[in-house]
Amino acid sequence: MASILVSSSENYSGKSSICSGFGLILKERGKSVGYMKPVGNLLVDVDGVLSDEDAEQMRNLLSLETPRSCITPIMLTENLINDALLGVEKHLEETLKQAYSEVSRSKDMVLIEGEGGIGSGAMYNLSDPQVASILDSKILLITRFDSVSAVDRILCDIELIDDRNMLSGIILNEVEEDKLGMVRDMVVPFLEKKGVKVFGVIPRDHTLGAVSIAEIVEDLRGDVLTGAQEMGKLVEHYLVGAMEVNSAIKYFRRTPNSVVVTGGDRADIQMAAIEAGARALILTGNLRPSEAVLGSADEAGVVVVLVKGDTLSTIERMENLIGHARIQQKTKIETIVRLIEENVDVDSILDSAGL
Amino acid sequence: MLSSLFNPDSVAVIGASRKKGKVGNAVLSNLVKDFRGNIYPVNPGEEMIEGLTCYASILDVADEVDLAVVVVPAKVVPPTLEECGKAGVKYVVVISAGFKEAGIEGAKLERRSLEICKEYRIHMVGPNCLGIMDPVAGLNASFAASMAYEGNIAMMSQSGAICTSTLDWAEANGMGFSKFVSLGNKADLGENEFLAEFRDDPSTSVIAAYLEGIKNGSQFIEIARDVSRKKPVVLVKSGRTAAGSRAVSSHTGTLAGSDQAYNAAFDKAGVIRADTLEDMLDYIRAFSTQPIPSGRRIAILTNAGGLGILTADACYYEGLELASLSGETIEGLREFLPDAASFYNPVDVLGDASAKLYGDALEIVLKDPNVDGVILLTSPQAMTDVTSIARIVIQKMENSDKPVLCSFVGGTRVMEGNSILVAGGVPNYTFPERAVASMGALCDYGERRSLTYPLPKPVHSDRKMASALLDEAAAKDKKILGLESFDLLKAYGIPVVETGKASTVEEAVEESERIGYPVVMKVLSPDISHKTDVGGIRLSLMNKDDVRRAYHTMMSDVGRYMPSARITGVQLQRMIEGGREVIIGMNRDVQFGPLLMFGLGGTYVEVLKDVSFRLAPLNEKDAHSMISSIRSYPLLTGVRGEKAYDVDAVADVLVRVSRLVEDFPQVLEFEINPLMVLPEDEGCFAMDMRLTLKESN
Repeated sequence: MASILVSSSENYSGKSSICSGFGLILKERGKSVGYMKPVGNLLVDVDGVLSDEDAEQMRNLLSLETPRSCITPIMLTENLINDALLGVEKHLEETLKQAYSEVSRSKDMVLIEGEGGIGSGAMYNLSDPQVASILDSKILLITRFDSVSAVDRILCDIELIDDRNMLSGIILNEVEEDKLGMVRDMVVPFLEKKGVKVFGVIPRDHTLGAVSIAEIVEDLRGDVLTGAQEMGKLVEHYLVGAMEVNSAIKYFRRTPNSVVVTGGDRADIQMAAIEAGARALILTGNLRPSEAVLGSADEAGVVVVLVKGDTLSTIERMENLIGHARIQQKTKIETIVRLIEENVDVDSILDSAGL
Repeated sequence: MLSSLFNPDSVAVIGASRKKGKVGNAVLSNLVKDFRGNIYPVNPGEEMIEGLTCYASILDVADEVDLAVVVVPAKVVPPTLEECGKAGVKYVVVISAGFKEAGIEGAKLERRSLEICKEYRIHMVGPNCLGIMDPVAGLNASFAASMAYEGNIAMMSQSGAICTSTLDWAEANGMGFSKFVSLGNKADLGENEFLAEFRDDPSTSVIAAYLEGIKNGSQFIEIARDVSRKKPVVLVKSGRTAAGSRAVSSHTGTLAGSDQAYNAAFDKAGVIRADTLEDMLDYIRAFSTQPIPSGRRIAILTNAGGLGILTADACYYEGLELASLSGETIEGLREFLPDAASFYNPVDVLGDASAKLYGDALEIVLKDPNVDGVILLTSPQAMTDVTSIARIVIQKMENSDKPVLCSFVGGTRVMEGNSILVAGGVPNYTFPERAVASMGALCDYGERRSLTYPLPKPVHSDRKMASALLDEAAAKDKKILGLESFDLLKAYGIPVVETGKASTVEEAVEESERIGYPVVMKVLSPDISHKTDVGGIRLSLMNKDDVRRAYHTMMSDVGRYMPSARITGVQLQRMIEGGREVIIGMNRDVQFGPLLMFGLGGTYVEVLKDVSFRLAPLNEKDAHSMISSIRSYPLLTGVRGEKAYDVDAVADVLVRVSRLVEDFPQVLEFEINPLMVLPEDEGCFAMDMRLTLKESN
């Protein structure tokens, strides 16, 4: 049966989202889809069993019955790394093949998801090209096109694959609106002339980077003081309020529906954020805001969260959260499906996978 | 409009109490003392309080109740208001605290209370306030220590504590009020409603206010302007500084607002802004008793040379002119004053002057047509009969249509004189500078009340084109527009320098050839606001090679300093020489709408902060006054042999910008920087622009 290994040029290329979207599209077309993530790196405990976050999501999305141990047969633990460095033979190749035969049983198509970048796992001989070779699969490379230097990265990755036939093709992802023209007119023809098939160019959609306020609260371990009923709302940007209040008003109102991080004692910044349409206020330093401000926040339906940390560490966490959020919400999955359907030649990919 | 609020026939006190020390008892006692109408205490736990029948609920009162004063706990206020509504009460004063100022639960209660008031069409003062007073009508619906004296000052305050302090101070200083309002949380009735009420109140001659914020800015300007034509409005608005605005937000859960915008708003409304509480109280003392002067020419009358000098200095700082006494006045003074006296302004009658001498001098000076107002100073020398001087001053002022402010400088020995002046309706200030500041306020009002605010002449514009341009940007989710949107300026008749756009180096050369050398090259990017900082401007390009070199180095520089900036190309401009740079800016203020700014370019604005502000709409006069009010104005009119620049052209652009930002509320910020002004009659050109759009959703 058919299979494809979804690999990526860098971290956070959108590989997992595309896997999700792709899986759903196949399912909709009536294909039975299997999924495998050979090496799990986002470890999560599910009823006493170690599993991987991406694997869990795909399992739910595609309603898979396959046992977890087959979907993610190898866990990226310290043991694995140490053993690899010490040269301990673990017969990972066999483990993979066995798991794969279970995963692919009675499935029309198997999606194999790589971990990290294309070269990740080389240490224990399981880089994406190595896995593709073991499982006799082709590679679909996802590249996040942040600037024209992505072209260099792609050409480099192709060198890594070595066997030209192993590369099915690439998808350029998260292309900013003002670069779309250049990418379509110059980059794609350039790559195709080099013999690289470009299956699609997906424009950047900011809503995909959004997180829900509830996720932020959980990650920061904050206390919700008001607005609990609005926690499901999504925010795409975070703004830091540390300036003089009139400048803050101008800054905040340019990006409404954001989350504003400021000190708990900055009543003026808090009011500016509420007036400018912020969705949530993260107050740092464990300083409780004035009651009058809480009253206004409640009136405006703004979620006020109190965190113990200082502003800098809070911002660092926000930096990781927003934009790197994994797609779980229904709306986001719908968005990615639409983006793929509108911008990617799915048939050609299936063709090259052997479906 | 609010007549039944201040002059009701019957008042109910809901939450009245028999226990001394409780607010519910203080309010009732205050009413009982002075109110001449019917009083109905309401408290289900009592049968009789202060000799009056007590009712279990307002619904049990058979009579029509005009005003209800509510003193019950916050939680009980909404159902109480509901009962008031059902009972047909139209005005309530909610003294109870524990609403929005107290937190989330309180905010909910306040919302609910307001809903009920709207449902039953009840006008509400407060909540969380001291109450209201109308000494003329004999109404003290508050828990203040006592009723205010009757007078002609109407005061409203957003701080209950400042109400209390003011009342106490007024008592000590013999000042009276026509109306006194503690605004509290201003959930319903606020400053705008009371301004209108005080305007129409025949007992009110001057309006004083302490505010921390204003609810509806444009409505405020309209009403305040209307009021100021009839009566002076003296206002303290706090929360002007970073620290202050933080305190306001913490205290009230509202934004303090931009002080520049407030200044511009008060100017526009003809309101007299007092910087401090002391100023406000000093000013209203003057306004309450003295006529408004027709000019700024002040005569100083003193028995101490030193005091006279201090006062003369203070007058200069206050912007008051020392009057040049007429020949007649000087001759008249010579006739009875000793030789050593000073006959010129300041008039020094010398330390041993008798009350008669003072009186005669004051009489002559008041008659002088060159004198608009008088400041009379007294130092209690050994032979000075302070009380007689006070009496004769009152006497001579009786039929004067010019203001006289006194400053009897001293302590124990001027106390009685002070009391006499106060009783006689003449303001007396402890120090001359206070008298001068108050005279300044009188003069300012004299000028403001006769101001007119003509509407600007219509501006010919291609609104459709401008609208299309902005809609297109919104559709593309563009929030910042720059040089590439010069067409927007053209649509409003704002002259722009000739430009060309290029996305490749050869296009840049083409455009430069077309425009004609020398040219300027500027990078086009929505992410770069200070082009010079990132190497995004190249000047004096004289030929193709210059242009090519400039293009490559610019792309490299910008890429290095701001690697994440999106570059859409470059703009070529004809280089203009021999002009002066100015900046025109606009920021849409949350309270008051478009606030326009003007200043000379570069360090003048950024470092020296030499700028002027005005609120839109701007007419030609406003535009000219904006330009001439900056300190560096002489640089535009020509100094040291330098020519004058085309100020008229700049004024015209200001009016057009005002129109543009008024027509498009989605424009949050806007700047033309620089606007290159050429010598007189040669016009001006916009060289760069930046516009921030509201997110469209």
